[in-house]
Amino acid sequence: MKNKLRELRAVRAWSQSDLAEKLGVSRQTINAIETEKYDPSLPLAFKIGRLFKQPIEAIFEV
Amino acid sequence: MNKSTNRESVESEASRPTFREHYKFNIWLAVTTATYLVTLYLVQHFQEWAPLLKVTVSLLPVLPGLLYLRKGLLLLRQMDELQKRIQLEAWFFAAIGTVIVSTVINVFNAHGLIWETFPHGLEIGGAYLLMFFLWTLGVAFSSRRYQ
Repeated sequence: MKNKLRELRAVRAWSQSDLAEKLGVSRQTINAIETEKYDPSLPLAFKIGRLFKQPIEAIFEV
Repeated sequence: MNKSTNRESVESEASRPTFREHYKFNIWLAVTTATYLVTLYLVQHFQEWAPLLKVTVSLLPVLPGLLYLRKGLLLLRQMDELQKRIQLEAWFFAAIGTVIVSTVINVFNAHGLIWETFPHGLEIGGAYLLMFFLWTLGVAFSSRRYQ
């Protein structure tokens, strides 16, 4: 699934580790989502949306 | 996009069980294995024991085994969703792989093509070892897929 996670993270100058810590997941999970190798669950997608103050559909593209 | 934002040098351990937790988990595997070896020795060297005593002694490794299971479940609950998926894929690979290998060995044995190493099939100890080996492979393969 295409997503803007890397761009959103870069704007805030957060590392993958920073974002992982904020979301309570591992850095491997963040990397796998950014590289489109893993689609997050709905609760995690909502968490990401809340963190970046954007709706899910603005971050993830089907 | 800058490549350095993708691959960070520092690993986040926020949602991963700590080394200490892994250590405590694996300690129970070691205790279970040690108990199994001791009980195996006792049962084999004290043939005169009553059957009920032999059964009781033989089943002693179940107790640390249950604690190992409990620790494993607690560890699994601490993992994030990707780690859980990796574990699920690895366990599935290990379980199905063990069934396939056991079946192949049993088929060979059933038709008289007995392998000297496995005259009675894999047996319980062999199945444990094979499952552990396949689980290790499964974790490695699955982790690589999400790298």
